[in-house]
Amino acid sequence: MFRFINLILLSVLVSAVNAQAQGKYPGIGRAATPAEIKAWDIDVRPDFTGLPPGSGSVAKGQLVWEAKCASCHGTFGESNEVFTPIVGGTTADDIKAGRVKALQEPMARTTFMKVSSISTLWDYVNRAMPWNAPKSLSTDEVYASLAYMLNLANIVPADFVLSEKTMGDVQARLPNRNGKVKYEGLWNIRGKGDVQNVACMRDCKIEIGLASVLPDFAQGTHGNLAEQQRHIGPARGIDTGKRVQVPANSATVSLTKSGGEAMLNLARDGNCTACHQIDKRLLGPSFQEIAAKYKADNGAESRLSEKVKTGGSGVWGAIPMPPSALRDEDIRALVRWILSGAPER
Amino acid sequence: MADPMKIRASVMGDKVVVKVLMAHEMETGQRKDSAGKTVPAWFIQNVIATHNGKTVLSAQWGPAVSKNPFLEFRFSGGKAGEKVVVTWTDNKGDKRSDEATIS
Ligand code: HEC
Ligand code: HEC
Repeated sequence: MFRFINLILLSVLVSAVNAQAQGKYPGIGRAATPAEIKAWDIDVRPDFTGLPPGSGSVAKGQLVWEAKCASCHGTFGESNEVFTPIVGGTTADDIKAGRVKALQEPMARTTFMKVSSISTLWDYVNRAMPWNAPKSLSTDEVYASLAYMLNLANIVPADFVLSEKTMGDVQARLPNRNGKVKYEGLWNIRGKGDVQNVACMRDCKIEIGLASVLPDFAQGTHGNLAEQQRHIGPARGIDTGKRVQVPANSATVSLTKSGGEAMLNLARDGNCTACHQIDKRLLGPSFQEIAAKYKADNGAESRLSEKVKTGGSGVWGAIPMPPSALRDEDIRALVRWILSGAPER
Repeated sequence: MADPMKIRASVMGDKVVVKVLMAHEMETGQRKDSAGKTVPAWFIQNVIATHNGKTVLSAQWGPAVSKNPFLEFRFSGGKAGEKVVVTWTDNKGDKRSDEATIS
């Protein structure tokens, strides 16, 4: 939170410095430069507007996939127990019909069962994958990894090359291409919704009953919800902080950045907290669990630093930890902090 | 019958790299169910891979191999377009054979 306030202060200062009269909104920022807009405007539409030219073969895609994707999604796109599978559940008949039959059954859904425009997958991989290093793929690597997935799903043959020219051919074979329904009220802002919200005038329910509650064990999963809501005006969201076990001294945040706080920030900036929490297991073990496991192990610091750097799996389960891009000395400091029990101060 | 295997075989340099994902429970015979009864052992015992009718891999497995095993191996002399056939047999005598075209 304090970092956030600092950021705001900083940007207020910066914009004060920049405060030249600017067209319609004098004193408020500056117009974005064409280069900034270009870097930001990367979406690819179903009609392929925005799709950059490039190409990638299934064979090249297999190499990209194995190096950058298989650790989470599995060699065959089957995924491990955490992620939903990408490939599976579609048939040759679905490819003919453009509608996936298995969707009518209450079963887990894979990406290729659901997706109705190939542009969505291109765009998604390009902006969001690999999960631990989004936007790190070249345009050709995006084409290649997508070609590999399409081959796994039996949509294209093994010698296929995906490019801006062949995306249309793929769209015409996408198993669920005809599966999209455009409900008026959702799709068209002027469309008529399917809910008619009429104010109750007679025999109205006066007492409002609690329909569901967050079970005790899930209360603290996302921290204190009340604190994460608006900071001005009446807060919404219930207080889920009380039932979370945090060390007593972490209830207040100190203004000076002590060792622990700096480390916690580093763990956030280094993306560790996407998978680790101090006292609870997320995708990876909690920092406290790690500290407990290696309490009497003198070699742990260097071994674990190496593992964070290169990634790995098998100690806590089958889910892999991806390699970290942090500097060696930062990784080492983080591991030392984790092994000391990850104190927040 | 068991679910099909997923097999990918591709030429990499002068070798063919084969990756296989098998669908099998691989029960060790050590586990107990919620009623305390031992779950009987049930695992793949033999794996054979052939290329043009010639055996390129033959393996004897035991209950220490994980559920849904993943197997990767390489062999020489294969060309794109030819077929690789993988067959497993488990300790109950169940059998499954699947093939892939080398790419
Ligand atoms: C560190 C783990 C990780 C790696 C590595 C990774 N992914 Fe993902 N991927 C995920 C997660 C988690 C999701 C789901 C994200 C979500 O739902 O917000 C996902 C979702 C996807 C989806 C969309 C699935 C759907 O149905 O919504 C695609 C496609 C995908 N990844 C492709 C790739 C490709 C291609 C690569 C390699 C270039 C890759 N991923 C690497 C973790 C990973
Ligand atoms: C994409 C999720 C993910 C990210 C991001 C991540 N980890 Fe992990 N981490 C894991 C998983 C999963 C394990 C368990 C690996 C295993 O079972 O061997 C793990 C294990 C560890 C371990 C214990 C290793 C062992 O062998 O016992 C340490 C220490 C660790 N992580 C530190 C970090 C640090 C520091 C960062 C940030 C630089 C980080 N992790 C980022 C998922 C992640």
